[in-house]
Amino acid sequence: MGVDDFERKVVISGVGQSAIGRQVPRSGLQLTLDAITAAVADAGLVLDDIDGLAMFPGGGAANLPGYANGYLYEVQDALGLTTRWRQGQVEGMSLPFYGPAQAVATGQARHAVVWRTVKEGSAARGAGGRPAYGSTKPLAEGPMAWWLPLGALSPVCHVAPYATRYMHEYGVTREQLAWIPVTQRAHAALNPDAVYRTPLTVDEYLTSRMISSPICLYDCDVPADGSTAIVVSAMGTAPDLRAPVRIEAMAGVIDDRPSWDQWRDMGRVGYATAAAMWQRTDLRPADVDVAQIYDGFTIEAVWWLEAMGFCGTGEAGDFVEGGERISLGGDLPMNTWGGQLSGGRLHAGFGHTAEAVRQLRGEAGDRQVDHAEVAAVTNVGGFEAGAAILTRF
Amino acid sequence: MDAVEGIPPAVTEETEAFWAAAAEGRLVVERCDDCGAESFPPRGMCRSCRSRSLSPAEVTGRGRVYSYTVNYQRWTPDLEVPFAIGLVEFPAHPGVRVVGRLRGRDPEDVRVDDEVEIGFEPGPGGYAIPSFTVVGRGQAAGQAG
Repeated sequence: MGVDDFERKVVISGVGQSAIGRQVPRSGLQLTLDAITAAVADAGLVLDDIDGLAMFPGGGAANLPGYANGYLYEVQDALGLTTRWRQGQVEGMSLPFYGPAQAVATGQARHAVVWRTVKEGSAARGAGGRPAYGSTKPLAEGPMAWWLPLGALSPVCHVAPYATRYMHEYGVTREQLAWIPVTQRAHAALNPDAVYRTPLTVDEYLTSRMISSPICLYDCDVPADGSTAIVVSAMGTAPDLRAPVRIEAMAGVIDDRPSWDQWRDMGRVGYATAAAMWQRTDLRPADVDVAQIYDGFTIEAVWWLEAMGFCGTGEAGDFVEGGERISLGGDLPMNTWGGQLSGGRLHAGFGHTAEAVRQLRGEAGDRQVDHAEVAAVTNVGGFEAGAAILTRF
Repeated sequence: MDAVEGIPPAVTEETEAFWAAAAEGRLVVERCDDCGAESFPPRGMCRSCRSRSLSPAEVTGRGRVYSYTVNYQRWTPDLEVPFAIGLVEFPAHPGVRVVGRLRGRDPEDVRVDDEVEIGFEPGPGGYAIPSFTVVGRGQAAGQAG
């Protein structure tokens, strides 16, 4: 360690979610207020305790239709709060609670809430399918200037070459990787809030339509409507909290070109972040009882299984094959809420964090993992990556 | 040839030379006047030595497919599918990787390490977009791709 362990000066005190579904007929602001209200109550706090607000992404940074909702100033205005710290950003939000933890650990706020509200399900319906980047902007700016003119109009097209390269280098097959969405669907069947709960088979996976090879329909997360809010509180307030959870360690490192197309080794992603995170704790991968790892696409979960050291590089296919290891009774129950693949694209690790907190508290209902004391949470992959270990208080 | 359906690029101070050369069928990247390193996309600063003195330099010769995808989803009503997109590297130009369409072969028969020749085709907004022609099979062909 040897680094100021600022994450241990704070706790995750509350999580709350709005209704989640393919379409929820409420505005982004209303879903956000539902989630924040639930999260604050979950923490054992009242709204007037909140003095820090953060959203992802800030500034209305909507690359995709329905991507950004619940604008920070409207939320503060609706709640009638005084805030001492605010944040809205894409860059640097390697984990939902990273910025709030920094703010609370340094005394800028005492109880900060961060939210992520998506209306991508409704937007997808409006677009007649999964919405494309181009439908919000007349010109392709920044890094998208190299992709959107080619007709590569979705993040699927930008991530798919990673999967191609990974499978090429390590000989991993779609038959093996199918077990990630198939197993997560079985978990979703036990989660009343998941978007898709009917069983999925390997055969259905293999015969589903290809979206952008080798990524098929069931490798893609589900566009959804819904809001997740997370409350981060100062450690000193723990006696007043209902059921806090510790942040044992967290990190977010970018050690290569921060670009979907320029990342050099597309077979290995997230390693620097995972290594930096493990340096901040004496816990080891074998200590992890439950893993909530980012799964915008199946391949992203593969990166994290390997980068975090749950299996070796190129070994994720063998690790997940058959599904036993990553099921509820297995060595590493993974994405127990169904993940974004079946639970819904709540995005940016928010759904994963909420589930990790529920598991560590023993509040995960029918999908509760026995004796869950250590949870891994990771977010995204590629360049803006975050990894954390949360533990029971 | 009909123009590829897509979103036109926002051309910037850094990317103006690229799109102008593309219209002439030439692929240009940034070359550092001080250390000679080449880089793409253009940033106006050398990624090797941080020099601000850079010039457009044409890349010629064959490239190699680092990775690729075949897109089947019709993201917009007029998008013709399937099509292959490749990340192309140039053995003679380390530091340069360019995304483009891949043509000259059935998209489903493209493989990692395939050899390509530089080319362009009409894209959205009157811009010419990178469109590499697959001309040969790389040495690693036959592996799972």
